[in-house]
Amino acid sequence: MIRFEKVTKKYPGPGQPALDQVTVDIEKGEFVFIVGASGSGKSTALRLVLRETRPTSGRVYVAGKEINRLAGWKVPRLRRQIGTVFQDFRLLPNKTVAENVAFAQQVIGKSRSEIRRTVPETLDLVGLKDKAERLPDELSGGEQQRVAIARAYVNKPMILIADEPTGNLDPASSVGIMNLLQRINETGTTVLMATHDHGIVDQMRKRVVELDHGRVVRDEAMGAYGFQH
Amino acid sequence: MQLRYVFSELRQGLRRNLSMHLAVILTLFVSLSLVGIGALLNMQATKTADHLGSQLEVIVWLCTPDDPSNNACTGEVTEPQKALIEKAIEENPEVDSYHYESKQVAFEKAQELYPDLDFEGEDAAMTAKDMPQSYWVTLKDPDEADGIKSAVQGLDGVSFIGDVREELKPVYTIIDVLKYGSWAAAGMLVLAALLLVANTIRLAALARRKEIGIMRLVGASTMYITLPFLLEALVTAVVGVALAAGALALFMQFGIVDGLGDLIDFLPWIGWEDYLQALFGWRQAGIAILGPVLTVVPTLLLTRKYIKV
Repeated sequence: MIRFEKVTKKYPGPGQPALDQVTVDIEKGEFVFIVGASGSGKSTALRLVLRETRPTSGRVYVAGKEINRLAGWKVPRLRRQIGTVFQDFRLLPNKTVAENVAFAQQVIGKSRSEIRRTVPETLDLVGLKDKAERLPDELSGGEQQRVAIARAYVNKPMILIADEPTGNLDPASSVGIMNLLQRINETGTTVLMATHDHGIVDQMRKRVVELDHGRVVRDEAMGAYGFQH
Repeated sequence: MQLRYVFSELRQGLRRNLSMHLAVILTLFVSLSLVGIGALLNMQATKTADHLGSQLEVIVWLCTPDDPSNNACTGEVTEPQKALIEKAIEENPEVDSYHYESKQVAFEKAQELYPDLDFEGEDAAMTAKDMPQSYWVTLKDPDEADGIKSAVQGLDGVSFIGDVREELKPVYTIIDVLKYGSWAAAGMLVLAALLLVANTIRLAALARRKEIGIMRLVGASTMYITLPFLLEALVTAVVGVALAAGALALFMQFGIVDGLGDLIDFLPWIGWEDYLQALFGWRQAGIAILGPVLTVVPTLLLTRKYIKV
């Protein structure tokens, strides 16, 4: 589903590359944690999958297609197949919860009737059915992240990418979020999550890819966060 | 269903940047009005030139007693003087044909030109006796009037030579000055409008940077994101053009049709077909075309800069 082949990413200027000869192969339906210290290259890896940037060398494949060769105008289409969840939630502030989730469907051209059916279902899935008409700033952090997850999942994407989704949340909310991601993964969506959170990684025992200064230093099925951290 | 989203974004966008949009509308209004007036004046100048260019006639006015036009006139022109004048006209190679108009004919023409004046009775403005006689000379080439003028000018009995083109030269000059003046002012205002539009786009795009980023993340196509901006540009253009068209229509009605057109009826004046040309014509940068171009083109160029994939 996602494959990195000797991917190197150098940003202009002095210093080490953000990613250095990274080779990782992620199968459909997997749940993979990317861990590492700040600056280890986690976010860069995720950005490459979303085609927000291109590798300096090497190849990135998503669903079998080499995406660094993708023409600019095709990139929106790629992104519609990938759900994203971020540390800062990234909800549209002037839209209600329902409208935020509906937005992901409007963008791919779903009809109003379909949206009216799917959005409440998805909100129910994340446990926010009765907050559909609230605005983001009326919600707690955990609730906002659930909205983000609902938006990421409403189109039943192949891949869900999460960049430190529990970064701004307290431990209790974090557990709820991880449960959601787990359930989403069980429906067949491949989940790729970058995180600092030791506790979550240790608890869930999923595949762990560890990056250090841009290099893969560990790739373990059912891994823990790591001893040295 | 997508249309509904686009229109609601459009409404929001207009509301949020209302003062900037109003500024653009006002600038467009004034600059397009000036462009339109320049175009209309241009058309009028061409019409006048064509008309005058076709004026082949030069009029030789003959002396009357107490002639107000010429001190050298010693009284009514005499028959021998007329014979000499006629001979000069006949012999001139540039003359195509000529005819004589008597006092009576002149009097009847005056009555037609000034229907409001009183020509009968004790307090008559003028009588047939007061009118001068004249020779109406048709030239072969309207630009070669100098020959006949100099031949006839000094002769006794000639009061003055009337050349419509000479007399209207000042009017012609004024029209040209107004035309170039309005083009110059319009040029500066069009530039101002362009800069204002560019600034509005920049501010709007910066303000919505976060939203645009989120939209890109979710996979909205560039057209989807740009469309509300384009529609905003179009709406401002339409309002600006409508206001300018209204102003030009008022100018046409009260300035030309009811104004100058009424006053000076021997010249052809621009009409409503010319007005439509000023609005929609291709070659004279019709304002209905120029307006949208001025707003939509910068929008397209600038939003590409801020909405990159």
